Amino acid sequence: MVTARHVETACDSPLAAICALPTSPRKQGEGSHPANMTSAVPRSGLSALISALTLLLLAAPFIGLAFVTSWSHFGFADGDGSAIAVSLCYSVLALILIIALGTPLAWWLARHHMRGQWLIDALLLLALLTPPLALGLLLASMYGPYALAGSLLERAGLTLTNSGPAFVMAQFYSALPYYVIAARAAFEGVPRELEQIALTLGHSPWRSFVHVSLPLARLGLAAAIALAWVRALGEFGAVLIVAYYPQGIPVKLWVNLQNIGLNAVYPLLWVFFLVAMPLPLILGLAARRRRLI
Amino acid sequence: MRIDYRIEHPVALHATFDVEGFTVLLGASGEGKSLLLRAIAGLTPAQGEPFGGMAPQHRAVGYLPQGYALFPHLNAWQNVAFALRGAQRRAQASQLLERVHMAAFAERYPGTLSGGQQQRVALARALARRPQLLLLDEPTSALDPVTRDDVIAELIGEVHEFGIPALAVSHDPHLAAVADRLVLMHGRHIIQIGSPGEVNANPIDGSAARLLGHRNVYRGRIDGARRLIWQDGAIAFPIDSDTFAGDVDWAIDPEAIRLVDAHDDLPDAVPVSVEVRHVMGRTVQLGVRCGQGRLWVSAAVDQAVPESVAVQLPVEAIHWWKRNS
Repeated sequence: MVTARHVETACDSPLAAICALPTSPRKQGEGSHPANMTSAVPRSGLSALISALTLLLLAAPFIGLAFVTSWSHFGFADGDGSAIAVSLCYSVLALILIIALGTPLAWWLARHHMRGQWLIDALLLLALLTPPLALGLLLASMYGPYALAGSLLERAGLTLTNSGPAFVMAQFYSALPYYVIAARAAFEGVPRELEQIALTLGHSPWRSFVHVSLPLARLGLAAAIALAWVRALGEFGAVLIVAYYPQGIPVKLWVNLQNIGLNAVYPLLWVFFLVAMPLPLILGLAARRRRLI
Repeated sequence: MRIDYRIEHPVALHATFDVEGFTVLLGASGEGKSLLLRAIAGLTPAQGEPFGGMAPQHRAVGYLPQGYALFPHLNAWQNVAFALRGAQRRAQASQLLERVHMAAFAERYPGTLSGGQQQRVALARALARRPQLLLLDEPTSALDPVTRDDVIAELIGEVHEFGIPALAVSHDPHLAAVADRLVLMHGRHIIQIGSPGEVNANPIDGSAARLLGHRNVYRGRIDGARRLIWQDGAIAFPIDSDTFAGDVDWAIDPEAIRLVDAHDDLPDAVPVSVEVRHVMGRTVQLGVRCGQGRLWVSAAVDQAVPESVAVQLPVEAIHWWKRNS
């Protein structure tokens, strides 16, 4: 029998777990019969204790932030406002590009298995592994003003150094592999049989994708989008190399630290949290609002 | 409707037969029956008629896979309406649910429905597409054994009512028994076609008898002295074989076997021991150990079974088929 159980395994991927979204969905019947869980009770005290400790560890730096912020002199440095605008606008652009190009790739990887598949896996892993600073250097050596692709594109009017497009490019490169891997796991969790049934019911492959694959993968896709957003918005190393200007929040945090000091960092950091948090949070809530049983 | 399909991969298979009313293709697991249904639905590469060469979305088939594959994110009426377009889709879906007696469950999600209920929703969903042919993969496999016969009766009633030819593939002899037409498959070949009555009365060979769920179907050998050798010579019965000698499949109706007292020293009585009593209403099927093998013997529930029991197999009741090695 095909039930929600099969569909949501996508969220068990380690990458989806990195994400802040609640990714292990309640399974049918589970949790509704506490009487059946008695065997777990003796250990639950210990695991609750460890969980509390882990959460405390996780929260410690942010609790610290609340204390070290000088609330009486809370103010912004010059250019903080434009950094927020730059980060938000370009991250949205990068996210749109990532979804537009990454979704078809993720679906294709989930549905086709071919010889040499490990090469594609290795490529995705390579993109994940590259330290952000090194990624920036690689991008500069490819798309820089004197580099192969860079000089050609510049002739066509697209400058990929210290420009808006360069900023978006750096974010795109750093967040795309996370999105593709998480989205692939989401699509792999959709039973192929359901897509095929949609075909036998007269739907084209495209309609089957929209009406079956997407809704059934939506929890995992929401996690993938949230992950990509967080990665893109927080990207520092790659952006620093190829797009020192226009300055987004992460680079501006660094500049403020260098030029002014810690007191100029914290207010901008608070704003960063404020603008970065809503999208992943809302995605998580929206994805789980429609029940799936 | 004439089915003629040839599949090359992953197994080679060629099947030609007519589907009339509720037709059951009976075969063991691994024969490629499900594959044949998928080929007709256009989900696996194959050549054949009807619908040859068409994309799956253009084939007018209603396909019910094993487990029914209802969409878990849609409720019952949304599942049925999946194949429908336009403003009237909800009303049409409700009508279809009503016809399969599931109107009361329109708002329920598949995970909360029983196997039989899911099957009816899946049937309504398949019918919404206005198919020329229904394809059912192991329709009895996900059913509760207690309600199974009723669910099958309901299903067949509905298929007849809608008047669409249906092809069900199964290894379940119970389903085969209620078909309008029965097609037997063995070794990736169609071995026998007919009504369940004809086929059950005269299975074409031992494999067919086994598929039909007949009890007491065994391998043996007929020697030159008109004796049936069973279990490599451990047991032998007289048999009516005119001139043939060689390897055979043989079978005997449990009702034809006679239970006798071993002390009576009757001719050709084989001593046995009772292993299991399978009570079925007023009769009981006794599973008796006979050498290394087991025979099923039908008896009245109140029939006295001697302490030291033996069986006699009447010559005229033993069916046998030559076996090609």
